[in-house]
Amino acid sequence: MFEDDETLQMYIEESLEHLSDIESDLLTIEEGGEDIDIDLVNNVFRAAHSIKGGAGFMGLTTIKNLAHSLENVLDLIRNMELVPDPDRISVLLKGFDKLENLMNNIQSSNDEDVSDHVQALADITKASLPEEKHDLVSGVVNLELTDGRVFSQVSQYDLEQRKNEGHFIFLVEYDLINDIHRQNKNPIKLLETLEKTGSIIESRIDFESVGTLETWTAPTRIPFQILYSSIIEPDMADTLFGLNSDAIHIISDDMIRVSEAAEGSIPQAMPSIEKPAEQIAAVEPAPAPIEQTVAVQPPVVEEIPVVEEQVTAPVIQKKATAKANRQENGTAPAEVVSKSMGSLRVNVNLLDTLMTLAGELVLSRNQLLQGISSSNGKATELAGQRIDMITSELQETIMQTRMQPIASIFTKFTRVVRDLSKQLGKSIDLAIEGKEVELDKTILESINDPLTHLVRNSVDHGIEATHLREKIGKPKTGTITLKAFHDAGQVNIVISDDGKGLDPERISQTAVKKGLRSEQQIAEMSDKEKTDLILLPGFSTAEQVTDVSGRGVGMDVVVTNLEKLGGIIEIDSTTGKGTTIQIKLPLTLAIIPSQIISVGKEQYAVPQVNLDELLRIPAAQVKEKIEKVGDADVVRLRGNLLPLLNLSEVLGIKKTYVHPDDNVEHEDRRTAISDRRSFQMNASGRPLDGQERDSDAQQNERQGKDRRYHASSAINIAVVSAGSYKYGLVVDELKDSEEIVVKPLGRHLKRCSGYAGATIMGDGKVALILDVSNLGQMAELTTMAETERVSKAAREAEEAKERARDKASLLVFKNDENEHFAAPLNLVERIERITSSSIELVGGKKVVQYRGGTLPLYELSQVANVGTLPEREQQEIIVFKVKNRELGLMVTPPVDAVEVSMDIDDSTLKQACINGSMIIEGHTTLLVDIFGLVKELNPDWFEEEKAAAAEMTEDGQKVILFAEDSAFFRNQVKGFMAEEGYKVITAEDGAIAWDLLDKHKDEIDIIVTDLEMPNMDGFELTERIKTHPEFSHYKVIALTSLASDAHVAQGEKVGIDAYEIKLDRENLMKVIRRYLTF
Amino acid sequence: MNETANAIKARSMELATFYVGKALCGIDILNIQEINKHFEVTTVPQAADYVVGVLNLRGRIVTILDLGKKLGLSQIEEDKNNRNIIVRSQDEHIGLMVDSISDVVTADTDRIESSPSNINGLKGKYFQGVLKTETSLIGILDIEEVLKE
Repeated sequence: MFEDDETLQMYIEESLEHLSDIESDLLTIEEGGEDIDIDLVNNVFRAAHSIKGGAGFMGLTTIKNLAHSLENVLDLIRNMELVPDPDRISVLLKGFDKLENLMNNIQSSNDEDVSDHVQALADITKASLPEEKHDLVSGVVNLELTDGRVFSQVSQYDLEQRKNEGHFIFLVEYDLINDIHRQNKNPIKLLETLEKTGSIIESRIDFESVGTLETWTAPTRIPFQILYSSIIEPDMADTLFGLNSDAIHIISDDMIRVSEAAEGSIPQAMPSIEKPAEQIAAVEPAPAPIEQTVAVQPPVVEEIPVVEEQVTAPVIQKKATAKANRQENGTAPAEVVSKSMGSLRVNVNLLDTLMTLAGELVLSRNQLLQGISSSNGKATELAGQRIDMITSELQETIMQTRMQPIASIFTKFTRVVRDLSKQLGKSIDLAIEGKEVELDKTILESINDPLTHLVRNSVDHGIEATHLREKIGKPKTGTITLKAFHDAGQVNIVISDDGKGLDPERISQTAVKKGLRSEQQIAEMSDKEKTDLILLPGFSTAEQVTDVSGRGVGMDVVVTNLEKLGGIIEIDSTTGKGTTIQIKLPLTLAIIPSQIISVGKEQYAVPQVNLDELLRIPAAQVKEKIEKVGDADVVRLRGNLLPLLNLSEVLGIKKTYVHPDDNVEHEDRRTAISDRRSFQMNASGRPLDGQERDSDAQQNERQGKDRRYHASSAINIAVVSAGSYKYGLVVDELKDSEEIVVKPLGRHLKRCSGYAGATIMGDGKVALILDVSNLGQMAELTTMAETERVSKAAREAEEAKERARDKASLLVFKNDENEHFAAPLNLVERIERITSSSIELVGGKKVVQYRGGTLPLYELSQVANVGTLPEREQQEIIVFKVKNRELGLMVTPPVDAVEVSMDIDDSTLKQACINGSMIIEGHTTLLVDIFGLVKELNPDWFEEEKAAAAEMTEDGQKVILFAEDSAFFRNQVKGFMAEEGYKVITAEDGAIAWDLLDKHKDEIDIIVTDLEMPNMDGFELTERIKTHPEFSHYKVIALTSLASDAHVAQGEKVGIDAYEIKLDRENLMKVIRRYLTF
Repeated sequence: MNETANAIKARSMELATFYVGKALCGIDILNIQEINKHFEVTTVPQAADYVVGVLNLRGRIVTILDLGKKLGLSQIEEDKNNRNIIVRSQDEHIGLMVDSISDVVTADTDRIESSPSNINGLKGKYFQGVLKTETSLIGILDIEEVLKE
């Protein structure tokens, strides 16, 4: 094998560069199908071709063979003789994968077996050829030169193809030493030049003639033979090759002999003709590169897309055997095979910028030194400023060299998705957005595997099989979207699919089955929490372990890997709609923005990624804001309970304080936060903070270190979150936010899991970086989900309490200045203001001309024993609509709408037209009975009802079952039902109503129920009635005080027939009548 | 010429000696990066008790161990003669806090004897050997053994 370090490196680098674009090109070609994009195919063809050319020269026979087979197929596609269908492209892709793999392990490449690939490719080539030409593909011929030497084993197919294209075929003999090195030429460049005017069929080096190190005599010539075809006429050939005509052989048909060589034998270069003796003598020892026959470590360019795992596995094995062989021979050391140190491609402009900055830095340093030595404060300051700026710029630029577009890993997924979906028989499109987003190289490398896993998961489990998708009316082709974007100094990567989504029930059942959670725990979980169980260690969603994603790694591995990078993962899934997984990553790991905090004497850094907000609870509010739940301190933050974690406690830092009296450090014995105030009073006998304000200034002056004085008695909390944890970190002081450089901790501190590393602060001291997630674990903190549940339970309890009371919207107003009244808002039509002078007194009744008609006006004192209206220039009128007729009630402002719990006292202040009283906003308020009022004033409006009631009595009374927990409403509603002639059976709650229904099932005609009741609510009652075979025919009318949309929806689900507002007597009765009359 | 020098080198080593409690110990000077008296360490809560803290040594984070405690003696007492001996081990720098430092002694390897099971209350396993001088007994520390977590 050729082992010139530089040339080999150059070849590998170039080849890998060629290969890097091939995948996407091939996929595009596949998409195009019969519409062959010649340019694109040519691209790929050229890549294969130049790889082949170089490989022949380097003696990399395996690579050459494979590249050659690939080239043949591509050539057919290029000539429109072959349609690039997915199967063929697959073979090509696999071939190129293998090629790339060989490139990366160049030293062992010749030991690899590529016959499968070569065979598959040859089959394609064959299939496209007419029958009689099939032999050509695998046929080899020898070329017999006029001087009797034989250039053996040339592909017959190649020769035929070239000849068909009208090419002349030349066999050119170069001498690497005399023709190339001595003339300052480069063999690779030579090949490239030749490629421009024709094509290289074969290139071989006669290694035999080089000799070995042992022979001591340096080789005088290295024959390098190229089988070349070109349209250039033979007579022009010597100028083209720059060689004497005796080194150029024109191959004619009669020189071609069918080879009889055994299959698998390696083609050799033909021996060269000995040169005259004097020439040998004149030749000096060969130049350096050729002498270097020592094995070189293969250079590896880092950007190589990772090869499919299936492919890698066998390769590794092979590599191992190759390694073993070599060790036996005792030649090359084993490390030769291993990858060399990472290298990175950097934009030259960037390097130039760095160079300029370095120059600037040196200049500024000189200025600084000058300034210092001449004690010139001004100059020093200026230089300092400059260095400051340059440093920032330098940092930024250097970071940029590490930044790489995410495209390098994103594009790879096109292939992953294509191959997988094909394997699984699914049809899936991959949409990629934000390819240009840049990330630190290290992070980029580390997210490759987690992302691959997630994408595979989406393909395997997310997207349904095609026939299933059709059945449920989804587009046949599933879509997976990969998106990257910047947000708040972080990189977000979103993987979403429109598949079946995650099934929280199945996940939770699996978790139970695997013993990760108990049934009881599951029962308390929300769907989101259940979904998140998938992230637990030891969890794999695949019901069947498939080849695709069931390889023993679960989502937990993904999570762990991402968390190592300071990343966060969030799952959002809707069953049937799809899954969206969002990953948040820091831009870089080396320098991170952090919040500096301090506890005791030390400073700590909390990475900004983990920081949600900073809280400071003033001493005066500690008591009300911080509560104790069980053993844990919690803080109430915007209605949620947030667990608190005292950093000094978790880390076991002894808190000390300097006692003001004796100036000695004491151990601070305070432990709990919630009771610190009372403790302070008892233990030190000092009064409360507030009372000590005056002496504080003086105290602080004397004892700056005493942290127990007022300003520091406040509690400082850094609200942090990581993974499933979210908590408040209680610290002594919150300091600045700084960009810190992360440095690793020594091995003796590896077991301290609370730290993610250390950093050096501006003053040169070391500060530890806190690992938020591990701290939470150490403190055995409940996870966020649990915390949420606790606070949710608390919230629900409170809400339930609120709900237990009936709420209603009321309109409050005054009559006399000191009398407060309220009326149900739903009966109110509108509120008007008129001038008192427009009120007319007609027939003993007050009226006002209103909207083209006459509106009768009343005041409360006409019907109830209340004060009279004060005389004013303007008069507020509440317009009610009863029985389709309007009437106005004159009131005194302010008129306001309120929503209150109906806590009605229906005895103390009850009187005619007043239902009762309640306290609204601190005033005893009388609830006006509008119906009573209308009835009192206009009894004739109700004749119809009377008639109906009378009629009903004749026909037999209708019976209403009425369930209502509030005594006030029960009486009210029962009252007006009875007034209209119904018989009413009342129940205090749903359960009682259910019993009564069973007892009186023959009598009851209709059911009216409140919704919110103890024991059994209206929904449940309705559900029972509607699902019971005997009762399902009953109409159920729900009475509510406030009908929200959610309520209505829930009601519809259980089968409620109608909703009525409690105090809207008229509508309620109308509905009852309607249901009962047909 | 060269060979003789190598032979001499092989036959003798230079030891930096220091006191841990009352015991005089030595470390091959080639293992030592530097000796300093920076004590502005940052304490690391939750670390093993023999960890004094971490120190910024020109941009490197160096763990400082209390050699007394590490060797199973009592804590190094705070004193103006305290020093940190920074040694290299497994690609990292680690500081050993000692009571005070003493001379650099050249020792013939021939004169180094295998260590007894106990030297002034220190376990024998921490020593590569002992060197007897006219006035004292120097225990030569096996750095890797001492630094084992």
